[in-house]
Amino acid sequence: MYRLKRIVTSKLFVTLIWILGLIIIWEVCASVVESTKRTPENILPHLSGIVDSIFSDRKVNGSQTAFQMVLDNAGATLSRAGIGFLIGTLCGFVLALLMNLSGIAEKIAFPYLMLIQMIPILGMAPIINAITGDIAKSRIIIAAILTFYPVATNTLAGFKSVEREKHELMYSYAANKLQIYIKTLIPSCIPYFFTGLKISAPMAITASILVDTLQGGIGLGCLLSQSLKGAMTRYVFWQIVFFSAFIGIMSFCLMGIIEKALTPYKNNRKTRKRV
Amino acid sequence: MKTYGTKLKKLTSAIYPIAFGVLIFIMWQTQLLHKLLNTDVYILPLPSRIAEIISDNSSKIMENVISTVEVAIPGLILGSVLGYLIAIIAALFKTYGSGGLTVISAFNAVPIVALAPVITNWTKDVSPEASVRSFAAKVIVVTIMCTASMSVNAYRGLTELKPFSEDLMKSYACGKGKTLLKLRLPNSVPYIFTALRVSVPSSVISTLVAEYFAEYITGVGRQIRENILTAQYATAWAYIVVACLIGIIMYILLILAESIFLKNRRQVLSIK
Amino acid sequence: MSEMLKNNDVEIMLKDIGMVYQADGKDVTALTNVSIDIHKGEFISLLGPSGCGKTTLLRIIADLLHPTSGEILVGGSTPKEARLKQRYGIVFQSAVLYDWRTVKKNVMLPLEIMHVKKEERVKRAMKMLELVGLTDFADSYPRQLSGGMQQRVGIARALAIKPEILLMDEPFSALDEFTREKLHEDLLRIWRKTNKTIVFVTHNIQESVFLSDRICVLSPHPGRLSAVIDVDLPRPRTAELKNTREFTELVAKVRNSFEGV
Repeated sequence: MYRLKRIVTSKLFVTLIWILGLIIIWEVCASVVESTKRTPENILPHLSGIVDSIFSDRKVNGSQTAFQMVLDNAGATLSRAGIGFLIGTLCGFVLALLMNLSGIAEKIAFPYLMLIQMIPILGMAPIINAITGDIAKSRIIIAAILTFYPVATNTLAGFKSVEREKHELMYSYAANKLQIYIKTLIPSCIPYFFTGLKISAPMAITASILVDTLQGGIGLGCLLSQSLKGAMTRYVFWQIVFFSAFIGIMSFCLMGIIEKALTPYKNNRKTRKRV
Repeated sequence: MKTYGTKLKKLTSAIYPIAFGVLIFIMWQTQLLHKLLNTDVYILPLPSRIAEIISDNSSKIMENVISTVEVAIPGLILGSVLGYLIAIIAALFKTYGSGGLTVISAFNAVPIVALAPVITNWTKDVSPEASVRSFAAKVIVVTIMCTASMSVNAYRGLTELKPFSEDLMKSYACGKGKTLLKLRLPNSVPYIFTALRVSVPSSVISTLVAEYFAEYITGVGRQIRENILTAQYATAWAYIVVACLIGIIMYILLILAESIFLKNRRQVLSIK
Repeated sequence: MSEMLKNNDVEIMLKDIGMVYQADGKDVTALTNVSIDIHKGEFISLLGPSGCGKTTLLRIIADLLHPTSGEILVGGSTPKEARLKQRYGIVFQSAVLYDWRTVKKNVMLPLEIMHVKKEERVKRAMKMLELVGLTDFADSYPRQLSGGMQQRVGIARALAIKPEILLMDEPFSALDEFTREKLHEDLLRIWRKTNKTIVFVTHNIQESVFLSDRICVLSPHPGRLSAVIDVDLPRPRTAELKNTREFTELVAKVRNSFEGV
């Protein structure tokens, strides 16, 4: 009885129940839509239909199946998101470092960091494209700008969170600036840095897809808008929605895994020992 | 002497960013920025030209601003209320509630705005008027975007209580309802503002994106797109500036509200 | 005992130390006219209620604060020179350990900064851990240790650089009474073995009587030295000492020496 209760209230079980619940709600709605609408796949298709379309070997554009096309375009989108994410992460970290090193840099950058949040970067995609003159480059820049803000603010918060005593300790050892950063500040900010990465990794991917939809070329978003316009089966659209959701969540989890690997001291949950 | 010093400090902390802004502005106006970015005044119009367009088309711009704000604010309110209600339910039934929130927070990683086109399909039967249909679709997108951050943050506010405060309520023989009213709800107020700090900017941005896909052509976001499509970059820039202003004004209003409501409280700074 | 100490060298000389802060445009006197000579190898306590300036005084010795008036010499040089020569080991109220370093690596941290060779670092760290009785926990992470053990690591780290002076700022105030008593005896044992000069800040009268050679009693508003009391209880001291009449009488004497509290 007790064991049963433990399983029923375990986190994994609860999450599974929720996912199951969502699937049931989806299917009920899909059935309603199916019986009332002429083209249910435009509104809410059955999940089985989406799964079927993934494994169907019917060619949608003459040479590729729907899922092959999705994977092909995903490669282009994800590589742009990935490069942009890396650039944004690097810039964000360097800016946080500069802001922590220099009071003037902090004063200058802080209000503009807030401002960046307000700029409709996604809407500016075509303009950035016009400035850079290259679609891929402009999309990398947009992913980078969106990554930049959470990384910079969280890393800075990490630097600021270091206790006064640790600074004093380093001071009493007569440590130089480089040593203070390498031994104390940078290791301290790693959990904060990853908080930023966990926010921005899915954002970089989402942004890449959205920017794709506003322009042509190759990419998940372009495929998405073509599918919506009826250029190919609507199931391609649903495949992309689920695929991008999956990739977004996976990118979040990936950051968590990297963080865990870098901070082994946090996993070590042995019982506390007493004197 | 010292008070003079702190005043001076406050002044310089304002002067540096302003000086930086003025520098960029001058570089922009004198086309130095264009040389740096290797572009021209057609794609990146001069600030004076953008200002001119804004003042010349003020009534049309205002129309679109109202249309955008009319979507962003109801979406923000609906999403936040919905998120808060979800958080209360989750806090009352903790085991299943926290699991549900894990699933909801996973939605943060999903490009919800990408659903905007489908949501347009959902609202086909709402009204024969295209403007009403589009309005409903856009509000739904913004609502979904704002729900997740509010529910996750409010849940923290409702459950991360000061140590022993729950035991104190128990010692007063308070039931679940009373504890919620007297302890959990007041405790969650700072967390509501943490959530709003995220969702106010995102409500504006998601309104703009939802407008791109909407059936009915209106709103600042849609104007940015339409003008870019017709290569009217200067007008597009004017709308971009206006979009930034909407976000900034809403954010400032939020900060003002926060300073009134949280006057005597420690700020919750961690953003989740 | 005090007669004997007077013949020893003066390690830290504080003369007419004054400290004035500025808060809200007003001058706040944290310390005024404090003069103390601390001898080599002496265990001295700075005792007083909060606001008496005892931590300020310790921070002045550590070169973390600069007095607004008066003179301070540490081994004949300024506190800054003493700090640069790494003559101080500091122990704070909390252990201030680095989560991401094992116990051994925490102790090795100051040695890394001083570019001590790797073998020497490990050797010295292990020796220090032996001294505080934590050899078995060298490869544990701070999170896995109890509060008392964490503070022992803090002490080992402070001793690792072989400082002449150990500055301790209420190091045991966050621990429970039983752990604290154990650490008192351990600290006295370590002190006897290493012959450091120890400046110990505390607000606990019994603690200061049990540990010290001399107690500097500080009183607040403004922070000032109101009494210096010699503790001539025999050494080595054990917990049983606390049950003796001499101990209780000294505690009473110290308590009566406070002014304006």
